[in-house]
Amino acid sequence: MEIYLVEIFDYDLVIVGSGLAGLRAAIEAAKVGRDKLRIAIIAKNQLMRPHSISAEGGSAAVLYMDEGDSFDLHAYDTIKGSDYLCDQDIVEFFVRQAPVDILELEHWGIPWARRDDGRIAQRPFGGHSYPRATFASDRTGFYEVHALYDTMLKHHNIDKFHEQFVYDFIIENNKFKGVMAFDIPTGQVRIFKARAGIIATGGLGRLYGYTTYSHLVTGDGLAVALRRGMKLKDIEFVQFHPTGLVPSGILITEGVRGDGGILRNAKGERFMEKYAPTKKDLAPRDIVSRSMMTEILEGRGFKGPDGLDYLLLDFSPIGAEKIKEKLSQVREIGNHYVGIDPVDSPLPVRPSAHYTMGGIDVTRTGFTGVTGLWAAGETACLSIHGSNRLGANSTSECVVFGKIAGEDSAKWLLSNDGTINLSEGDSAYAENFLADAYKDKGDNDPYDIKRELWTTMDRDAYVFRNESGLTEGLKIIRGLIEKSRKISISEKGNVYNQNLIASLEMKNLVELAEVVVNSALERRESRGSHFRTDYPKRDDENYLKHTIAQRVNGALSITYRPVTLTKWKPEPRVY
Amino acid sequence: METVRLSVYRHDPSVEREGKYVDYDVPKEEGMVVLDAMKYIEKHIDPNISLRWNCSAGKCGSCSAEINHRPALMCKTRVDSLKEGKITVSPIAAYPLIKDVVTDVSENWALLKRIPKFTPKEGLEKPWKMSQVDIERSKEFKKCIECFLCQNVCHVIREHDTDYFGPRHVVKAASLDMHPLDALDRSEFMNRDAGLGYCNITKCCTEVCPEEIHITDNAIIPEKERAVNAQYDPLAMLIRSRRNRSGRK
Repeated sequence: MEIYLVEIFDYDLVIVGSGLAGLRAAIEAAKVGRDKLRIAIIAKNQLMRPHSISAEGGSAAVLYMDEGDSFDLHAYDTIKGSDYLCDQDIVEFFVRQAPVDILELEHWGIPWARRDDGRIAQRPFGGHSYPRATFASDRTGFYEVHALYDTMLKHHNIDKFHEQFVYDFIIENNKFKGVMAFDIPTGQVRIFKARAGIIATGGLGRLYGYTTYSHLVTGDGLAVALRRGMKLKDIEFVQFHPTGLVPSGILITEGVRGDGGILRNAKGERFMEKYAPTKKDLAPRDIVSRSMMTEILEGRGFKGPDGLDYLLLDFSPIGAEKIKEKLSQVREIGNHYVGIDPVDSPLPVRPSAHYTMGGIDVTRTGFTGVTGLWAAGETACLSIHGSNRLGANSTSECVVFGKIAGEDSAKWLLSNDGTINLSEGDSAYAENFLADAYKDKGDNDPYDIKRELWTTMDRDAYVFRNESGLTEGLKIIRGLIEKSRKISISEKGNVYNQNLIASLEMKNLVELAEVVVNSALERRESRGSHFRTDYPKRDDENYLKHTIAQRVNGALSITYRPVTLTKWKPEPRVY
Repeated sequence: METVRLSVYRHDPSVEREGKYVDYDVPKEEGMVVLDAMKYIEKHIDPNISLRWNCSAGKCGSCSAEINHRPALMCKTRVDSLKEGKITVSPIAAYPLIKDVVTDVSENWALLKRIPKFTPKEGLEKPWKMSQVDIERSKEFKKCIECFLCQNVCHVIREHDTDYFGPRHVVKAASLDMHPLDALDRSEFMNRDAGLGYCNITKCCTEVCPEEIHITDNAIIPEKERAVNAQYDPLAMLIRSRRNRSGRK
């Protein structure tokens, strides 16, 4: 191992993360900055392979008001879906902006599916009372990423850095100055000096072993934000997607149920009729996942490998023709990964960790409270999704609020001059951090710690939670944090050192796990995705409020903030 | 427990001149793909091994390699689909090695940047109208996950030093040309600047495409035909020769 002298880059704006939010932010910042701002977009992966490409089903937007959809309806669906924990003013803003940005994507080349009259087709989605998921087959996120990436290439003032691992932000006197990273292919330490930054690093799904998330979603941006004293909001709310393919957890889109697919238990019953008599299989994800786990725990599931008991997703009501046209990728996944063609037989499914409703506490423009620093996409928590996100709302959110963060940061840059001067200590810190990361500090293995974390989270912080499980989980996780300080990594080379990356990711994950479990422990009610078997009712009197977690002097503090209500009063959530 | 033996190419060019194949025995599991076996090696046998992977669901295009010397995605190649015996895993050969099975495919980013971007026709009435059939034509090419296996197997790229961009890039051009509302025709660019003429349609690229895009039949041949039509259209030839005569470009 060899630590190179730090290489320093100088930009106006640095965007960390190249998913939908990061790409959209880059384009808008370039446009608003009239191609004069120097922008860098950097990511841990190759830029066109973010986790956003895995989004399948669609992007929600009100396109057909003349046919019965409305902003109020979309807002109401989102608010009821969130179990009233979203901020209603933000939701009202979001639903009005989504159609504009979804149509704009069409003008950038995305092939939205069509109706017979040549206009855009939309499909039904869970919890939406109108079919408003705009889609492109079952690879919506993939096509969106590529349309945005191609559009970004038109701007010549955006420099692209692939495979950079960001391990810290430079913040001095609450002012953002840049990020510290290393170049994965060479191990070179880099500082990206910048007057402004946008964090768009996605959620924290790899906290769980059984998950739909890509390998790279390890909450890096969230973990750095936590360490740097920023506030994380509503982080106990993790969405479990009802239909993860057993045993891998690969996502089978909700579009399957949108197009007519149904869930069945081992007795062949369409059990969702019992739990959500009106919406049935298209109830919001938290309700479907809970119903599925109830079926499994009460013995009406199938025995699966490694405790992954499952239920069946029956495609037969959709019909072979439609499966081939609209769900081609799902069919390929079934064929390939479990050897089942859904045209002939149902797929084995079980709720799989899928989305992080919480995130960095930001204002409606994505501003984090640190001068010069914004966040957008799944990393940020604007409180659109509250305690449970509706399907198809996240890709829309990324596009809408990625754009706003790009615009707001660019405007701020144009009206604020200045240069960034690094302190003497910054370069030394960057080098030392990495040198230290290579050093052996004990005999714990980073991979073992990650495995133990996964077992703990899959058991204690899954669909059903309770005081004793969470308390036990918290104890284990705190032990893992201790262990994570005494690890050794056996690979010391500079080039593409995955051992080093895995150990840094693991540290991020265990620290975030503490926040998730602690916040969950403190919320003694059941709301949306957070269900406490010991407090099975929603408690608006005591808990209609956002959880704010922050590290203060090394210790985790949990406080609360009221929810903003506009015109929708909390009511019982029946589907 | 039943095991499977992998023979993996190991080489760190920053410290050694030559690479070598190293054998690893990995417990075989039901439905196991080659990427699972490689991850097992990283986690349990030799953490020094370098892999590039991400979605492990055949969507992101990161884990390209040569498996038994055939270009394939590690996450999509089931161990039980391969013939009995040792499985060799080596890096894709058309690109410079970073380490082990990780290669530097970045020259493709620069090529992609040069292909003329989506340019909608002028004066279109909003909202745009298109038919699903027309959309599907362009979508076949938009499915490309940029795994670059087609580039790897292309003998023009592997064996000759030409200016041919390669199959992935013809697919890109086709995806834009086939968009029902796109105004440009990229075939001339592909022929003149992207070396399309070097492709002699051996169809190797089509064979390895994990997305089953009909690269040769649906992208390369139509682009070639359009380029040739424009080049040898008698009227166009006449106009060109008159322009040349009058000294205009």
